[in-house]
Amino acid sequence: MQCSYCERRCDIPEGGTGFCRMYTSLQGVITERFPGRWSACGTSVIESMPFYHIYPGSRCLTIGTAGCNFRCRYCSNAYIAKEDPEVQADKMYRLSAADLVGTAMRFKCKSIVFNVNEPAVSIPSMLEVANEARRAGIMTGCLTNAYMTEESTELLVSMFTFFNISLKGLSDEFNRRYIGIPSCGPVLRNIAAIAAVRHVEITTPLIQDCNDAEIDAMADFIADISPSIPWHVFRLLPGDEMHDAAYPDIDRIDGELISAREKLRYVYFHNFVGSDWVNTLCPSCGAVVIERFSLGCGGDKLNRNHCDGNSCPECGRAIDLVL
Amino acid sequence: MSTAIIDARGWQNTFDLRSGDRVQSHTPVVNMVKGVLKNHPYPGDMDAGSNRWVSDTALELIKEYNPRFVYLTYAAQYFKGRYNKMTADERSRMIDNAFSELQRFIDLSRFTAIVIGSGNMAPLMDTIDVTGLNGIAVCTNWSTKYAGLYEPSSADMKYLESHPLIEKIVPREEIVSLFDGTPEQAARTPEFLMLARQGHTFRAMSPAMRVPVMIPADNFRIPLHIPVDGVDDLTDVRPALERLIAQKNIALIVMEGVGLDEFSMPHRPCINGKGWFFYETGDAQHLALSSGEHRFFDYPKGYKHFDEVDNTREYPFSGYFKSIPANLFGSSFTGRSIAVGNKSMFMHMVTGADICVECFSRNLFNQGTMAVVHREDKL
Repeated sequence: MQCSYCERRCDIPEGGTGFCRMYTSLQGVITERFPGRWSACGTSVIESMPFYHIYPGSRCLTIGTAGCNFRCRYCSNAYIAKEDPEVQADKMYRLSAADLVGTAMRFKCKSIVFNVNEPAVSIPSMLEVANEARRAGIMTGCLTNAYMTEESTELLVSMFTFFNISLKGLSDEFNRRYIGIPSCGPVLRNIAAIAAVRHVEITTPLIQDCNDAEIDAMADFIADISPSIPWHVFRLLPGDEMHDAAYPDIDRIDGELISAREKLRYVYFHNFVGSDWVNTLCPSCGAVVIERFSLGCGGDKLNRNHCDGNSCPECGRAIDLVL
Repeated sequence: MSTAIIDARGWQNTFDLRSGDRVQSHTPVVNMVKGVLKNHPYPGDMDAGSNRWVSDTALELIKEYNPRFVYLTYAAQYFKGRYNKMTADERSRMIDNAFSELQRFIDLSRFTAIVIGSGNMAPLMDTIDVTGLNGIAVCTNWSTKYAGLYEPSSADMKYLESHPLIEKIVPREEIVSLFDGTPEQAARTPEFLMLARQGHTFRAMSPAMRVPVMIPADNFRIPLHIPVDGVDDLTDVRPALERLIAQKNIALIVMEGVGLDEFSMPHRPCINGKGWFFYETGDAQHLALSSGEHRFFDYPKGYKHFDEVDNTREYPFSGYFKSIPANLFGSSFTGRSIAVGNKSMFMHMVTGADICVECFSRNLFNQGTMAVVHREDKL
């Protein structure tokens, strides 16, 4: 039976599993193996996901499952994403969609964000959560690699109102060697499709001498969709199979982003402590309209929002924010 | 003003510790510390060189700053033991290596050492699921024994009070009474504090995903190596330290995750808490050591930290601390002092030393190092 959740389109034999090991085939139906099990369920602030242009400073409930359809050599959550989900299943939270939404309400969360691994490996469970959340008036968002089929993309769009999509690199060679996929074509297709109807921010982990030569090309791609899409350029935190890789040179990467900053209105460079490049500047007058603080590695937070609603307090220009 | 120097691997910047604002500082002490950070990139919590980093960084600071008081923590064995399954032999070798590193520091520095083991570790056997409560359970701050409980329903209390893995549920009033807390301190204390039985921990809502294999045991007593008599309680260490340092250079060293069962230096058992409460390895234990008094309330177990996330909070590099704790040995000592540790980003808050250097790791992700210069007037 062919799985059509992601672009791997695995042929899953009856009772077997595919690449992500999160689905099986039961009586000819692709079925989720561990529904209602979650590797994480806790509160955080939306900036730490990162989302910088939606509900600034709000609290969210962060959730995730296990497994992934990528095999990134530098994965930050390899112990969740690469580990056999069956091994993890007993250690995971067992929570129904109603439990999760109830928890989000008790903890006064404005949204629920799927942010640990790839949501495409847990679509049925996440669909239940999204439906329950919608009924309760809680927004849902996710971090995704967007390597899913067009049908799944439509499903995700129906579930989530905001996305942070990881654009890891453009060349086939990079994607084969570092991500384990033949091409990023489906990712580019899905970014364009999702950005047409939903709030999208994009994140790119930069590995010096591996994908930093593609900075301008990636900026061009994003700008062609919309120059208002916020772009989070992450300094690679060496981990997993790339544990011994060099930490990218911050000043060099900053220099390489000059051209991108001319093409895109909101370019951020972070994932390290004390980054200078986490504030939002007005695209017209350059005033700092939102100040943030970064502890790196999911530790970003809002410091001060100077905007007057959606407008720059200095020149009045509209800032692309969802409030 | 206390200055924080962040070294994010090849990229250094200085900040006002209190506000988090960038500052320019090129004073002799700050420049010296920047050089030390540059020379000693942190290898990572789980790396074999992690404890060596503590010794080497401290030895260079001693050479450059000539302190009379040194406060160190060695934590590599705590992190490795917490998250990696090991055989008894592997664990024994790991502990031996930690003590060899400690001894290397003592030999090279020639400081007189006071060494404390923060406590035994015990295998995690099972968890207590508190995710389905009507109220809110909070188990944070790397705590495993304790969890805070807020607004429990009568059904919650019935479930918790009959739970075989919960040892005790203590109401706020009893906690405040035990530690002579003020009304302000009481306000940050959980309505109830739940205690898990040894080898068990609470499964509360948390974004943390790593599941430990070893957690702190019930350490009512911990090992203490000290060259004087009459020190039987954690809070007795500070007065002893004050007497000793009048004659000798002293290194106060904490071996994290090592208790009476594995402490290989001559030692005596030392009381590690008060009444039903004992310290887990962490900031409160260090504060008790360096202040000579019990410090439950600086950073209470199980408190609702997420309700205090506001955009105006000070000390953004200092975890949940909202101010620099008062009455620490390092801050009252008139001689020069340093602190170095690989446990977490709290050395600068719990030691009071003039110069503190610590790893900047969050959830084991190595982001570099941080130094805090509290005093520059002694050089």
